[in-house]
Amino acid sequence: MFNLQGTIHPFRKTHRSIFGKLVQEFRLVSSDRRSWRILLFGALNLLCTGCLLMWCSSTNSMALTAYTYLTIFDLFSLITCLISSWVTMKKPSQVYSFGFERLEVLAVFASTVLVQLGALFILKESVERFMEQPEVHTGRLLVGTFVALFFNLLTLLSVRNKPFSYVSEGTVTPPHSLLTQTVCVLCLCGIIPGLSSVLLPRMNPFVLINMAGALSLCITYMLIEINNYNAVDTASAVAIALMTFGTMYPMSVYSGKVLLQTTPSHIIGQLDKLLREVSTLDGVLEVRNEHFWTVGFGSLAGSAHVRIRRDANEQLVLAHVTNRLLPLVSTLTVQIFKDDWTRPLLTGALSSSASIAPLGPAEGYAALSSSSLPPMLMSSGGELDPLTSTPAKPSSPPPEFAFDTPGRNVQPVVLPAPGHHAHRPYGGLGLPYGAPPYTGMMNQGLARPGGGLGLGPHFPNHICIFPCPLIGN
Amino acid sequence: MEEKYSSNVLSGGKLGMVEVPNSRLTRYIVLLVVTKVLKALGIFESYDILKVVHIVHFIFILKLGSAVILLFFQKPFSSGKVISKRQWIKLLKHAVFSCVISLLGFFGLTLCGPLRTLLLFEHSDVVVIALLGVLFTSSGGGPSKTRGAALFIIAVICLLLFDNDDLMAKMAEHPEGHHDSALTHFLYTAIAFLGVADHKGGVVLLVASLCLKVGFHTASRKLSVEIGGAKRLYALDNLVSAMVLLPWVIVLSATTESKVESWSSLILPFGMIIFSVMILEFYVEAVCSAKMETPRCARYGTIALFLSALLLANFWTHPLTDQLRSMSKPPQQVSTEHVLSGGVLVSAVFFIMSSSILSSPSKKGQKGTLVGYSPEGTPLYNFMGDALQHTSQSLPRFIKESLKQILEEYDSRQIFYFLCLNLAFTFVELFYGVWTNSLGLISDGFHMLFDCSALVLGLFAALMTRWKATRIFSYGYGRVEILSGFINGLFLMVIAFFVFMESVTRVLDPPNINTDMLTPVSVGGLLVNLVGICAFSHAHSHGGKSCSSHDHGHSHSEHSHGGHGHSHGGHGHSHGGHGHGHGGHGHGGHGHSHGSGGGGMNANMRGVFLHVLADTLGSVGVIISTILIRQFGWLIADPICSLFIATLIFLSVIPLLKDACEVLLLRSPPENEKDLNSALEKIEKIEGVLSYRDPHFWRHSANMIAGTIHLQIMSDVVEQRIVQQVTAILKDAGVNNLSVQVEKEAYFQHMSGLSTGFQEVLAMTQQMETIKYLKDGTCIM
Repeated sequence: MFNLQGTIHPFRKTHRSIFGKLVQEFRLVSSDRRSWRILLFGALNLLCTGCLLMWCSSTNSMALTAYTYLTIFDLFSLITCLISSWVTMKKPSQVYSFGFERLEVLAVFASTVLVQLGALFILKESVERFMEQPEVHTGRLLVGTFVALFFNLLTLLSVRNKPFSYVSEGTVTPPHSLLTQTVCVLCLCGIIPGLSSVLLPRMNPFVLINMAGALSLCITYMLIEINNYNAVDTASAVAIALMTFGTMYPMSVYSGKVLLQTTPSHIIGQLDKLLREVSTLDGVLEVRNEHFWTVGFGSLAGSAHVRIRRDANEQLVLAHVTNRLLPLVSTLTVQIFKDDWTRPLLTGALSSSASIAPLGPAEGYAALSSSSLPPMLMSSGGELDPLTSTPAKPSSPPPEFAFDTPGRNVQPVVLPAPGHHAHRPYGGLGLPYGAPPYTGMMNQGLARPGGGLGLGPHFPNHICIFPCPLIGN
Repeated sequence: MEEKYSSNVLSGGKLGMVEVPNSRLTRYIVLLVVTKVLKALGIFESYDILKVVHIVHFIFILKLGSAVILLFFQKPFSSGKVISKRQWIKLLKHAVFSCVISLLGFFGLTLCGPLRTLLLFEHSDVVVIALLGVLFTSSGGGPSKTRGAALFIIAVICLLLFDNDDLMAKMAEHPEGHHDSALTHFLYTAIAFLGVADHKGGVVLLVASLCLKVGFHTASRKLSVEIGGAKRLYALDNLVSAMVLLPWVIVLSATTESKVESWSSLILPFGMIIFSVMILEFYVEAVCSAKMETPRCARYGTIALFLSALLLANFWTHPLTDQLRSMSKPPQQVSTEHVLSGGVLVSAVFFIMSSSILSSPSKKGQKGTLVGYSPEGTPLYNFMGDALQHTSQSLPRFIKESLKQILEEYDSRQIFYFLCLNLAFTFVELFYGVWTNSLGLISDGFHMLFDCSALVLGLFAALMTRWKATRIFSYGYGRVEILSGFINGLFLMVIAFFVFMESVTRVLDPPNINTDMLTPVSVGGLLVNLVGICAFSHAHSHGGKSCSSHDHGHSHSEHSHGGHGHSHGGHGHSHGGHGHGHGGHGHGGHGHSHGSGGGGMNANMRGVFLHVLADTLGSVGVIISTILIRQFGWLIADPICSLFIATLIFLSVIPLLKDACEVLLLRSPPENEKDLNSALEKIEKIEGVLSYRDPHFWRHSANMIAGTIHLQIMSDVVEQRIVQQVTAILKDAGVNNLSVQVEKEAYFQHMSGLSTGFQEVLAMTQQMETIKYLKDGTCIM
């Protein structure tokens, strides 16, 4: 599945021709009916943008230029749309093992950042214009405004833009654009207090910014026509640029955080709860190196290292941890690790295989974590019957071996894992620190109580965790 | 009682002095604001009157008028205790001083114009005392006060240096021309003796008299207690100073002829000035400082005064107001008006900021320690000592710390030095532009500033990279660098786009370019950028030292060099070629240095480097096109060069963007691909391993490759041993942040037992089947 043949193949392909590949992908996208619509709008948009850019240079109006950039942003959002429909068709390749969902995020990020850079450029130009205001010709100004507004609204309302709508409204804590919030605050102050809570989620920030931009252009037109007050043009360009920032900035921050592989802050509460649950599972000592992040919009991926007690069953703990986290984190990797696993376990471990059966069930395990049953030793060599995983009563008696032979009496014994002695770099016998090549991996820093508990291996971490009543046994 | 106090503190949301709620004070604040606006109006009016009336006359009339009104209101003789002879003498001294100060103030007004006078002279005592405290005593008010003082000084300097006032220049031409009296003449000579220009002398004069005024107010406090109240003192003071000025006025009117045509037309403006400047302001100030705390009063008052002054300055000379005023007096020659320049605006903003900082109550002695919790669960604080000191973090210390961080590492140090150089150049350009009023220079300075933003971004990213990992950024901040490289790449794309658009329009219609100023500026910019290129390309080759065998990059750079030589005419082209080669080169080196597992890949530095390169291209383009236009008059050369530059920038950015995209899309690192494949093969061959699934490897940041993998092993193998082996193998392949999930058959059984839903059980059993299948597969192998 991940062999050499597979690696060479795509390489040859890319070397053949990038252009051909692009055409191929384009065919793939255009095979879908819905993307035809997007393409049509894209062509319209391109035409409109070209016209507007020409009018911008003929009117010499900064505000119209700033407004044109919003049209260009619409073009970007259409491209994002195309990308997202392409993404849904693509399967993860071996190089892009997480799939192409992230491309959507990247497209959103790139388009918002590009528009903001354009707005920055507008700001810079406006500062220069404030010093020497050139004359603005109003001839095409109003026409351009309405053409741009019409096409923008047409594009926005007729093409459903999944990624952007996700960013602007779909998330649990949507990064409301500053503009939307401002409008809502105005509503709150002015008319009805309840209006903002109704409006806030519904308002499309893009429609809002388009309307506001068109309004400011109209005002510009009027003032220039009536008073010949050319500086208004620059001022409204600044206003549009600032509004663009206000709308785009939260989105680019949101998508940028996804790209930076951060834990989404609205998930953190839920995650913390789950991790706390995990750490109370029986046998789990701690959870560390937890990394959780979003792959595309929505799907969470993550990995964590779970340190467990030396005598706990790795597979069982793994299954429980995975079971807890899997509903939230779809791509999950849990690494289980033990300290000092090279040292032998209890002698009783050998006899424990028989007693494993009743411990498998889910309920039983859950009950175990709170009950006073002794921690189970599940030898890695233990054979498990598939049936054991089905729910069963946890009423079976505690295994015999439990603490009849307390740890301090135990002498180093052969590990209960036959058949691998030949490959081990360290002797199978009780050499506690006998794994030099790999010691870096293990956490050696844990405190080991000195000889206080007697000879042989002690159980530094769990001596105190053992339920007391059983020691009395 | 205590509870009430604590809840009050909390409701304010801050741990400061408990301020009286605004609602109760609103009317006083409104009153104060209205008064200040009226005062500003009065000062503007008096500036106009001072053009016709001699200053001594003017002050005499003011003092006399207000004395009459105040005598009427206060009745200083009929009420209160009798004033002794000694007190009369003190009063006389006091009046002389107040006359001198008013003279200085109004003389400053004639020199600087109303707006500047208001900005400089009308600071409340609290502000000035705080300022002097910061400047002359070691224990100021903490860093925030220092900040305020610094702002104040900057504002004064702005007024001194960057205020291009046409009128002032005009007056400086013949300073001896229209001096009416010995006094003004004396002051003029004094200012000339100081060696500063005329209007700047006015600024200095006003600052000095401001200090005098504050000192005078402080000194007069004792006297006012003696006399019996500040109001009585004020009334008497006005009267006495009017009497002091009387002889001078008589002498003056006897010796010089007045320019005033009709005194009757001036009665109304004088009445207004006396009312707004002398009487109303005094009473309202007194009332407000009694009702509110003085600092607050000062804050609101100053802000209102300055803002209204700015507004008035904008509209005073407006035709509309002229029409209004022409009803009361004949239209005057308005050619000699003080204009509203950028320097004044900036300094007004600074003055407002500094006065609001300086007049804010000192936070000293309000340290809160948590004492306990009130019954409602709100924390109670005990205020003592100075615990809130840390809330206003010292700016110098912050700068020092971040500087230390910046200088610690090579990358950020390089960026920082270059940024400093660039900023220095920019500011020299800007200052010179403002000084000489050259628009071209100023706009080029802004352009440079715009470019600097990319550098700032890069610097910030380089700093952030070293931050410690947090809960949200669980892998650390290393990836910020890649994102910043990506953004810088996008930035360059945008720049290329704009240059392209601009040049397309210019190809169609080549404009006439004025090339006088451009050459020195662009040569300077070129030098600065060349330094940057040297610094950053060094970092580059350092990063990719193992790239010498990379033929592709080299040939590429050769090629573009050829292009350079060829089209010397195509201005930026030459350097573009050069830079492009560099880019390709660095890129090639990149991949290789990665393979060697180093921390070579630094998208951030690449982005910054490309940016500097693009700047260099720009200045080279300007130089070459200037030469071409001058020598041959080819106006079309400029847009064509720009086209070339845009294309080159675009082409050189593509590799950077591609690499950054790959990293951001979590592609498995191409330079480690071979190692990873062989590592996976090795893993499959480990004894006990049946198969693996979901191998994810991706580059997280320059020096971290993260990975996750799920292994299926036989039931009789110790998991931890497998984990160790796999980790070691993958570490050799370059993966340094790994999670291995080791699964046995038991795991799938547990999982299917645990999962309650049918779907999940189905999925699990399917996975189990695959595992079995794979087991067979491996058996066959």
